[in-house]
Formats: sequence, C-alpha cells, structure tokens
Amino acid sequence: MNSLAQPKKWEQLFWPVLASVLFLALWHYSVAWTATKVVPSPLAVEKGVAELVRKGLLWRYIGDSLRRVALGFGAAAALGIPLGLTLGWYPAANQVVNPVLQILRPISPIAWIPVAIILFGVGDITADFLIFLGAFFPIVVACVSGVSNVPSVFRRAGRNFGLTPPQLLAKVVFPAALPQIIIGLRIALGIAWLVMVAAEMIAVDSGLGYLVIDARNSGKRYDLVVAAMLLIGVIGLALDLCFRKLRDIPSVRWGFRHET
Amino acid sequence: MRLKQKVLLFTFGWLALISALHAYLNVNWSAILNEYRPPERRKITVAYIPVTCQLTCPVTDYISKLSEHGEVFLPRLFQGFPEIKEALISNKVQAAFIVAPLAIALRSQGVPIKVVYLGHRYGSAVVVRKNGPIKTFADMRGRTAAIPSRFSDERLLLFRAMKVWGMKRGDIKMVEMAPPDVASALATGAIDAFSMGEPFPSQAELAGYGRILFQAREYWPDYMSCILVVQQDLINKRPEVVQALVDGIARSGLWLDKSKPHREDAADFVGRFYYNQKPALLRWALTKPIDRVRYTPLAPFKADFDLVRDLMMETGVLEKKIDFGEYTDTRFSDGARSETAWKYEAGMATAR
Repeated sequence: MNSLAQPKKWEQLFWPVLASVLFLALWHYSVAWTATKVVPSPLAVEKGVAELVRKGLLWRYIGDSLRRVALGFGAAAALGIPLGLTLGWYPAANQVVNPVLQILRPISPIAWIPVAIILFGVGDITADFLIFLGAFFPIVVACVSGVSNVPSVFRRAGRNFGLTPPQLLAKVVFPAALPQIIIGLRIALGIAWLVMVAAEMIAVDSGLGYLVIDARNSGKRYDLVVAAMLLIGVIGLALDLCFRKLRDIPSVRWGFRHET
Repeated sequence: MRLKQKVLLFTFGWLALISALHAYLNVNWSAILNEYRPPERRKITVAYIPVTCQLTCPVTDYISKLSEHGEVFLPRLFQGFPEIKEALISNKVQAAFIVAPLAIALRSQGVPIKVVYLGHRYGSAVVVRKNGPIKTFADMRGRTAAIPSRFSDERLLLFRAMKVWGMKRGDIKMVEMAPPDVASALATGAIDAFSMGEPFPSQAELAGYGRILFQAREYWPDYMSCILVVQQDLINKRPEVVQALVDGIARSGLWLDKSKPHREDAADFVGRFYYNQKPALLRWALTKPIDRVRYTPLAPFKADFDLVRDLMMETGVLEKKIDFGEYTDTRFSDGARSETAWKYEAGMATAR
C-alpha cells in the first residue's frame, strides 16, 4: 500500500477507534502505575462528566459556549467577508487599510482582555467581542487574497457577457474566491474556538472555558478540569468536520478549479 | 588581529561581568543550595501571597535571618490561592498560608494537610466605590462583589452580613478574583464592591475611589481568614521543623503587636523586599488604626473553625461534616505558647 491507495471503508473507522482506545488504555495504566493522586483516570473523568449531566450543567455549558462562538464568529463573518471582498476588489483601498490590518492581526485577543473589560464590562459581550477579534482578521485576509487571486480571464469573460460590477462580484468573483474564503472561515472557526476558552475564563460564569477555571477553583477537582479539556477537544473536532463537509457542496466545488 | 583580540576580550569581560551580576542580584542561592542538602536538613518552602493576613510569614523570614540560628524556612511568593493549592497538592511546597475554608475543603477532598496555626485576626473589609450607589449594606442587593475564592472567609463574611440584613443566597452576585486585581476592577466599575484582606481595602481607600463599608469584626467577632497549613508527611517525619516554623510565626505575631514602630518597620521591609508594594500602603493598613489587623492570639480554636465549617456547609461549599481534629494539629500551637516576641528593633544587626 502506498500513500495514494484509498483506505478501505472499515479501515477509515477502525484505525482511529483503535488509536483512541490505545490512548485511553495508556492513560489509564499510567495513572494506575504511577499511583498519582493528582492526575485523574479516564474513569474518574467519566464520573465527573456524569456528575455534570446530573446537575444539568453539561448541556447548558456546551450550549453557552457554542452560542458565544456562533455570535462572535457570525459577526466576524458578517463584517469580515464584505470588507475582505471590497478590499480585494479595490486594491487601492487595500493598500490604504492593509498596514493597519496587519498591525492589528497579530495581537492576540487575550491581549485585548483588559481593554475589552473596560469597554464592555464583565459579561457576555466581552466574551463575544474577544471571539469576534480572533475570527475577524483571518476571514478578511482570506477574502482579500481569494478575490485578488481570481484569474482576470474570469472577470473579462463576465464583462463580455454584460455583467454589471455588482453582478460580476456576486456571480463570478465570489464563487471563484469561495474555496479560499471557506479555508479562511475554517481557520477562523478554529481560532474562535480557542479564544472562547480564554474569554470564558475571565468574563462569564458559564461555558466550557468557565468550567475549566471553575473546576480549578473548587479545590481538588482535576477530573472536571480534564473532562472540560476533552469536551473542548471533541466539540472542536466536530465543528471542524462539519465545516469540511461544506467543501462537498456542488456550488462550492466549482471554485476548486485546480482539482480534477 | 589586535582588533579581534580586543573584541574577544571585551566580549568575555562583558559576559563575565553580567554573569557575576546576575548571580549576585537575581539568583536565589538559598533555594538552589537547599536542593543539595540531605533531606533531613533541607529547609522547607512556605507559600504565601502578598496580603497582610500573611504578614507573619515574611516578618519571620526577615528577622530570623538575623538571628543566630539563621532562617527557619524559604518563603515563596504566589499571586493567588489556586496556584498555592496546586503547589500544595503536588507537594512542591511543604507549608502554605491559605484561607481557612480552603484548608477545610482540601482536607475533606483527601489532600493530606493539617492546620497548625493562624496567620492573623481581623484585617478584612468590605469596600464599595466612594460616592457610589451603595450607602448601607442594604444597597448591596443585586450588586456584584468580588471575593478571593469560593473557599474564603471573605465570602462567608458577606453571608454573615447578608443574614443580619435579611438577604438570601443569590441576592449578591459574587465573582472570584485574584486579590491584586480587585482595586482596578472597582475603580473601573467592573464590580460594585469587594470583600478582601488588607492591604487591598487600604489601597482603594488611599487611592480615593474606595470607601470601607464595614470591617470584618463588625459582623464577625474574632474573625480570622488566613491560616498556616503543613503537609502531614512533614508533621510525621520532621515535627521539630514544624515546631520551629510555628514558634517563629508566634514570635513575629507578638513582635508585630508590641508597638507602632514595629508595625512601621515591618511595613517598610515587607513592602520593599517581599510584597513589592509601597511601604506607605502597608503602613496605612497596619497602623490606621493599629488594631485593623492583629497578630495575637494565633492558636487555632475549635469554636472558630466550627463556625467556619458550619457556614461553609450552609452556603454549599462543603458537603459532609468534618471534625476539628481531622484537619488541625494543635500540639505545635501548644508548644509555641511560651514563646516571646523577637528581640529586634529596626537597624539592629542581630536578632534574638
């Protein structure tokens, strides 16, 4: 078998499951073998999750985290895509705005925490704002480069068919740039999910990030800390898988012109 | 060639100079050398945070360094209780000053520690914004107040006041915050009040944006918050070290309560060498008035701890009842009963 061979259907499921089981076994036996009283075993973590379900906290926390990410990421997409398309469409405008964007882009949203608290107080808006900041810049940058990479022959063909500039942007440039935009959105969603944890640690009293800090503050409850970490990982993976499915939509596939 | 030699010489000289300066100024040699001592002679590490509830820790370290037996332990500064708790659980520190409810909670969760002594009495206060909407405690209803930890006496203090004013649990929204962060949070309006140990109430008062709503003793006679816990392992293996530690803390307590000049001296060296706070701030907290914080008597009493435990259960941070004897060891405080204050005045070269 070489790297080009298509794995069989059962293999696609079997190997990842096996690896996960092995990981859990390794974890369980290292805890048992080292007789540590600090690191919880997988069973203790499972009990911790069960306790959260019993108290009715688990679904509320997951729901709150997802809502904050949806709001922050949604706002970033709603503002970032039009801005990115515009800047990509008018390179002159891009030249003006780009330096500011490039300075703001590498600032971690976590560095914004003190300013965000002063601006929005301690609450949901601060968390949403931090998530928005994390997601906004990757989206804008992806849109700008997506639009500027559209081959000029596409635009000329569109113009020959008599499309007005708005039509050209909506019917030709946007679909052609869509693959890059989707990649940008996917990266932005990953960052939004990362920032959510940090944002919920300072500003609010629900959600998975809050669960980590709350479990830390409740004495020796590292089972809940690890449970929260695993939940963050699993839900993050699920979100990413959903996003990858977007690529399979036919109207999106049109833009992947370099693939066969 | 000559230039090359010069550059090399200069480089090596520079490296030697900054290395020597670094070793002299930055490296904590006593902590490093301690690692190489045989286990039975190794000094223990004591964790503390920069609040006056734990002032006896740096005072003991400072004065004992000048005594004939030398320093009793190695103090280690932390910025919040979660970090101290983690250091305790992972056995990185052998003793620590923490809030009493946290000690009770950790013991009931199976962490092998024992309370051996108190850090102080009084010295916590509830502070509101000056000229803000809160005039009396009744105005606290529906407001947000910062507390150092859900396992803190400062939180229980608020509950005691709420009981007096006929409020229910949930009438005041409490948020956990690291003590050094509360002053700016109050100033910017992120919180309406805070319940903290000194010097943070003094800090808000001195800076002009905070007003003390009440001192802990108004709602809680014989109030205590920070206590000294020691690992059970250390008690079993080296009880004489624990006794020396408790003796030192007891002597510092007596010394601090002896006179105002002692307080002012302590404010000066603790602020400069330990807490990294302005001595003027500590001087305010320690002397205006002088019984704002007290450092005697520091022996743990059952009635005080039963009160804390029952309040913890009432407010839902402790599930099952745990007895005084299970989480305290009073033989060291009994042993320290005949200790006297340090014989030390500011500027003296040796202490006895």
